[in-house]
Amino acid sequence: MSRDRILSAIRQGKPDLQPLPDVIGFPSHIADTDLADSFLTMVRTNGGLGVRANSLDEVRAQIASEYDLTLPTLSHVDGLDLNNFTPTENLRLLDDLNLVVLEGSVAVAENAAIWFDETALGIRALPFITLNVVAIVSTRNLVGTMHEVYKRVDLNTSFGTFIAGPSKTADIEQSLVIGAHGSKTMTVFLLP
Amino acid sequence: METPVRTTHHAEAAAAFLRDEENVDWHNETLWFVRSKRDKAAAALPEWEDLREQASRIKNHTLSRLDEYLLDLEKNAQQNGITVHWAADADEHNRIILDIMRQHNATQVVKSKSMLTEECHLNPYLIKHGIDVVDTDLGERIVQLRNEPPSHIVLPAIHLKKQHIGDLFHQHLGTDAGATDPQYLTEAARLHLRQKFLLADVAITGVNFAVAETGGFVVCTNEGNADLGAHLAKVHIACMGIEKVIPKGEHLGVFLRLLARSATGQATTTYSSHFRRPAPGQTMHLVLVDNGRTRQLASPDFRNSLKCIRCGACMNTCPVYRRSGGHSYHTAIAGPIGSILAPNIDMKQYADLPFASTLCGSCTNVCPVKIDIHQQLYKWRQVLGEAGAVEPAKKVGMTGMDFLFSRPGLYRFAGRAGRQLMKFFPALANNGSLNPWAIHRDMPKPPAQSFRDWYAEQEKK
Ligand code: SF4
Repeated sequence: MSRDRILSAIRQGKPDLQPLPDVIGFPSHIADTDLADSFLTMVRTNGGLGVRANSLDEVRAQIASEYDLTLPTLSHVDGLDLNNFTPTENLRLLDDLNLVVLEGSVAVAENAAIWFDETALGIRALPFITLNVVAIVSTRNLVGTMHEVYKRVDLNTSFGTFIAGPSKTADIEQSLVIGAHGSKTMTVFLLP
Repeated sequence: METPVRTTHHAEAAAAFLRDEENVDWHNETLWFVRSKRDKAAAALPEWEDLREQASRIKNHTLSRLDEYLLDLEKNAQQNGITVHWAADADEHNRIILDIMRQHNATQVVKSKSMLTEECHLNPYLIKHGIDVVDTDLGERIVQLRNEPPSHIVLPAIHLKKQHIGDLFHQHLGTDAGATDPQYLTEAARLHLRQKFLLADVAITGVNFAVAETGGFVVCTNEGNADLGAHLAKVHIACMGIEKVIPKGEHLGVFLRLLARSATGQATTTYSSHFRRPAPGQTMHLVLVDNGRTRQLASPDFRNSLKCIRCGACMNTCPVYRRSGGHSYHTAIAGPIGSILAPNIDMKQYADLPFASTLCGSCTNVCPVKIDIHQQLYKWRQVLGEAGAVEPAKKVGMTGMDFLFSRPGLYRFAGRAGRQLMKFFPALANNGSLNPWAIHRDMPKPPAQSFRDWYAEQEKK
């Protein structure tokens, strides 16, 4: 059986035990007071739009002025009921989605990656199939680096993803095009 | 009579690539630009060098306990409802995937970037068996429509100009004749591939990292194609080389900080998705592939190459790759790292590749997991020479050099004599028929004085 053959070949060929480093990761060099600014700068670098907002009401007003809410919209954020679309078993129908609004449980200042797990997403395909994504993040849930964020996220979730901006590609002559297969825009509202 | 092994394949293919001078200049400069973006991203992290060291040590550790981590991965993945398969070689990998397709009566597959499936030549195999395979990464779709392999592991269509792609899309996707705007062409590909995503029965993805402790795996893309495929299809098959396992979740922090910065200079890929359990109603498979990796592991000289995280930095920086193009390497993974991996799979077929290098060491300097790439290329040259896999003419020259290097007195004399000879008869050293190395390498101008002579003179003064 291949499994046993591979394992025994590894046992025969592997080197003597090499120790793991004692400490994994490095302290963040972003000061706590700079987390929000660094995060918002990186949102822009990633091709997204970063906006500070003071309350969900403010977010709701901005969404209403920026997006056509008569088009298929789904929100999974408590207190932001914008739903006019009922997903069915048939995931392919999600292709009609214009806007998905999600809340990130933790986000990283060094690269503006925002974590969404299965609870936040509900349906895994949502942020990838929709045309536009709005993400809500609280300043309290910002960390400096990827080392810190892995202390915060629960990797025992069935599925979780870091999303850092709208989808993009540079496969044609290295010219950056925003909007490859995933969402074409991503707006991040940073709440206190 | 045994057919003589040809070791000039890379050089010939490179010569063909070099004929389009304008394109070569563009290729060279564009990849150098990607390399400088990598430098900027690296310089922004004061701990960069220590981060590389940590990554290297985590990988070294993992390789030294690879059997145990694979067993942990298997056990935990199975507990999470993922079916785990083991494939000894490319054929078995391809058969496993076809079997899964047949079990589900599937005929339509969408595939995101996976260098492993390129290595195994999965596409032609599936197509031969009546399966419609669509590569969904934009660059990969472009080369698939052209019936070519990718020329770079991160930038699959970097050898093409937008005019090529405009013509191709006009022919296959019905875009306007002569249209070359990247935004327009990308939008056309998005619409075309969206239909494929919506119809696919099965999604195949690669794996960037698999975590033994959780039984999950991580897939990184900028385009979102791996996620769209995997979440919409009823069956998700993820394929990984056995070296892709890492021990713990916290190690992901180290590797994800290095990967995108090394690849394109981005602080992170747009999507880094962590799959651990199939979605309700979905089936998930993980295929663990050896295909020569255990052989590489058993070789102290070359096992280090198994640390590779496929970032492409060694290609972007390589002066030979930038000017010869990925296809000249005639193997799935081009460039410096590919030139170490390929001869392990087939020593004769790829005997030319370790010679497609100046051994300048730039690859080693940028590698995020500290693989001693140029030293391994040098070691392969010795191995190939000993195994008789090097073309006879080149071997004579190499033996001559070995002979000189092992006799320092003679080396000094030969150097001095050579400098005299080359000064008066430069054509002799540059003449391909007398010196086989001169065909592929311009002989440098002889320095008036060797460093040694100069040093001795300074001592005397
Ligand atoms: S060898 Fe190093 S630099 Fe080259 S692709 Fe692999 S990880 Fe990147």
